[in-house]
Amino acid sequence: MKQYAFYIAFFCILESTSAQPNAGSLTGSVTDTKTQELLTGVNIILRGTLRGTTTDVHGTYLVKDIPAGTYDVLFSCIGYTADTVHQISIQDDKELRLDRPLVPALIQAEQVIVTAGRREQSLREVPVSVSTVSSQMIADHVSVTLDDALRYVPGVNMMQDQVNIRGSSGYSRGVGSRVLILIDGLPYITGDTGEIPWETIPMFQIDRIEVVKGAGSALYGSSALGGVINVITKEIRETPEVRFRLFSGIYDKPKYAEWDWSDKTRSNTGGFISYSNRVGSFGYLFSVSRMVDDSYRENDLYHRWGVYSKFNYNFSQYQSVSLTTNIQWRNHGNFFWWKSLSEVTRPADSQLGGEVNSTRGNVSLSYKEIVSDRFFYSLKAIYFGNFWQDNIYGRVGNTASSHTTQVEAQATVEASHGHVITSGIVANYDRIITDIFGSHPGVGAGFYLQDELTPVPSLKLTGGIRYDWQRIWKEIFASPAASSPSQLNPKIGLVLSPSPTTTLRASYGEGFRYPSMSELFTSVNTGLSQITIVPSDSLKPERSVSFEIGGSQWLSERIFLDLAFFQNNYSDLIEAGVNPTQFIIQFKNVTRARIRGFEFGIKADMFNRFLTTDLSYTFIDPVDLNDNTVLKFRPRHLFYASVNTQYYQWRMELDYRYVSRVEAIDENLVRLAPIVDGEHRVPCSVGDAGITYNFTSLGLPLNIGLTIKNLSNYSYVELLGNLSPVRTYYLSVESAW
Amino acid sequence: MIRALLLVHAICTIVLSPMKPFTFIFLCLLFVSCDGGLEPPPPVEPGLSGSILFTQSTWPPADSLTSIMLVASKIYPLDSAMVFSGLFSNPPSIFLYPEIGKSLPFFVDSISFVFPLHSGTYKYIGVIQQVSSDILTRGIRVFKVVGFYKDPNNLSLPGSVIINENSQTTGIHIQVDFRNPPPQPF
Repeated sequence: MKQYAFYIAFFCILESTSAQPNAGSLTGSVTDTKTQELLTGVNIILRGTLRGTTTDVHGTYLVKDIPAGTYDVLFSCIGYTADTVHQISIQDDKELRLDRPLVPALIQAEQVIVTAGRREQSLREVPVSVSTVSSQMIADHVSVTLDDALRYVPGVNMMQDQVNIRGSSGYSRGVGSRVLILIDGLPYITGDTGEIPWETIPMFQIDRIEVVKGAGSALYGSSALGGVINVITKEIRETPEVRFRLFSGIYDKPKYAEWDWSDKTRSNTGGFISYSNRVGSFGYLFSVSRMVDDSYRENDLYHRWGVYSKFNYNFSQYQSVSLTTNIQWRNHGNFFWWKSLSEVTRPADSQLGGEVNSTRGNVSLSYKEIVSDRFFYSLKAIYFGNFWQDNIYGRVGNTASSHTTQVEAQATVEASHGHVITSGIVANYDRIITDIFGSHPGVGAGFYLQDELTPVPSLKLTGGIRYDWQRIWKEIFASPAASSPSQLNPKIGLVLSPSPTTTLRASYGEGFRYPSMSELFTSVNTGLSQITIVPSDSLKPERSVSFEIGGSQWLSERIFLDLAFFQNNYSDLIEAGVNPTQFIIQFKNVTRARIRGFEFGIKADMFNRFLTTDLSYTFIDPVDLNDNTVLKFRPRHLFYASVNTQYYQWRMELDYRYVSRVEAIDENLVRLAPIVDGEHRVPCSVGDAGITYNFTSLGLPLNIGLTIKNLSNYSYVELLGNLSPVRTYYLSVESAW
Repeated sequence: MIRALLLVHAICTIVLSPMKPFTFIFLCLLFVSCDGGLEPPPPVEPGLSGSILFTQSTWPPADSLTSIMLVASKIYPLDSAMVFSGLFSNPPSIFLYPEIGKSLPFFVDSISFVFPLHSGTYKYIGVIQQVSSDILTRGIRVFKVVGFYKDPNNLSLPGSVIINENSQTTGIHIQVDFRNPPPQPF
């Protein structure tokens, strides 16, 4: 009874907030100026407030409960020039209609991003290279996990589930990441191994992904050596919405009959369903996802359930709080490397029967307030829990749990016109309890300050610095171990726009990564061979220094070029050193490296946007300065090409990616693991194709797509001894109403 | 890589001349369809591989050398006459490398060999010296063993070797000392 009373009281409060007197609303539709098509997913924001929404599948929007007043309304969408309508007057108890046409833009030059400077900025204003991935691209590629969505980002290549930005990462098998991943601006790296838990990122709730290249520790702290990837989730819409996406994939047979290990048709099926609504000032979203992957390889099964929720409450136009929860249950088989080149779809015998069960989840809380036109602040907190257990033929092996908590406060103030200061403090607490790493607590704290100055409209200067401190204990109340020295990381940037079609940029930044607890404390026999991993609690943080100079140029209204030269110097890189005589692996600060190169991109549209192309080429020269040889596990050339065409309700996409053969690997690792035939590797030369039909014009809010990944069934490896996926046919259905 | 650079060049040309977009698509498809990639290793001929180490300064005079061969036998014990009969039994139980009439090289310190054989268990692997050119004596004292593969657990006994289908058994090392040959018969 008490519960009923609580719910009644709760909904009465909601109703009372929803029935605000003297509130008006804004509605309308957004169309493409050229095709007159209604546009889905356009962001509509009342500037200077936290209010906003997006257009639905019919291209319409509604913002309710707007206090009477005058507002500037921003319309923005990837692929279109952002448009602000000034001085819109909202009156009490009245609904104002505002239809708006958007002009197609070749690229997202005017696109608003938030990662490069920890605040909203136009892409043209940032001094570093930034790439974005939209939710449309994710759907077109039938990307099931985030790593899959990043495979066509210029300068980024994946080594199976390790992300590598311009050669930043080597072979670490998921231990420690030199790229920092954020979800809505908060770090999302496991507390034990320091890896990115790709599969737990709620793919179906992603609005966009921003990839910032180069060292970024001056704003984001540890792990941002090679770059930062920020996953921005969708906002809750003003009106009720049900969304779902289902996909079913069938793996083709391997290219060679010798590799065909199963008589069954192997499939990869999954999807999600979500419901969101807003009742007055309170918005909520619930989503459930499921994935079952038979895999094209033996003992590589993958099952996952996921539950995601988001709650939002607007105290006023200027104050908002959000709570997000995300939990995933996963079971997957062990497939560390193949049996041999003759049996690439079977794991080594020692891995048969092995599986890992994991439960991973996070809760994050965010409060934002716009105090005035010139002052904005946010408070954020995230808890990320991670539990896993490995089994061999049902017998429990190792278990591990890790808990990571981070709190952060950030303020942004416009000191004067064109002068913006952003500052914040962070603190974190980590705790791991494992069989193989031991049980250890750790704490850390940081402070950052960034100053952006626009002395003249065509010039923007940025300077920033961050101080970090961390301490890890071997045991609670024991003396500190692996005390990491304090880290001070500066950054400097410059953007010059000599003309509306030309932008030049230059930047300098530093980065670092604290060693993960697994690198510090792992003490285990691998069970895969005679090799033992021994602790190395004297590890120091890795460091990087990045330089970049680049520019972009519109050649005409439909051709856009971008060129960047970069150099990243790394020191004290932590590598798993193999001692071939004692059969031990120990992490050590061994490598000094220099990676320099250039990145070139062209975006173009043809035939009145009937055909759009996006090409990029990255040249990387990775040098191990210890012995002046090629740095291990880095490709030298990356080339990506995408062609899109849209014809009435049909949309077609062709993608191609080339990643050159990794020139140098760790031969000792191959020999001692042992990864039989592990030295065999080839360039990656893979094409994907997809076609989608949109039924909206027939009155159905439905998209049906067919995607073929790895068109030519090319056989290659991204990671030693791991055959990448064979040709796969996906059918997907997506709807929202 | 040259192909990739050519493609970049072609694409740049085409993008800047947008009347030919379909050539671009064609080029992409052409590139995608290029073959290559990982392949299964060629089938391995089953057999033995390893080395024969000849003790220095023990080679007999040239005029006493007719031929030196590797022998693999499915039967054990055996003698010179059994080697001869085993070669021509049906199915054969004795195999020589190289075949009769040919020889391993003389006066070398070591030889690496790959000895093609059917899968199965071989009870004796040795090196034999043909001591008589009169092969028609049908094996009576034609062959003399000068070295054999030893059982790692008992160096006085010959080691048995298993050859699996589509695989090569490696690491067969035999020491030959012409002055101190193993006891005869084999």
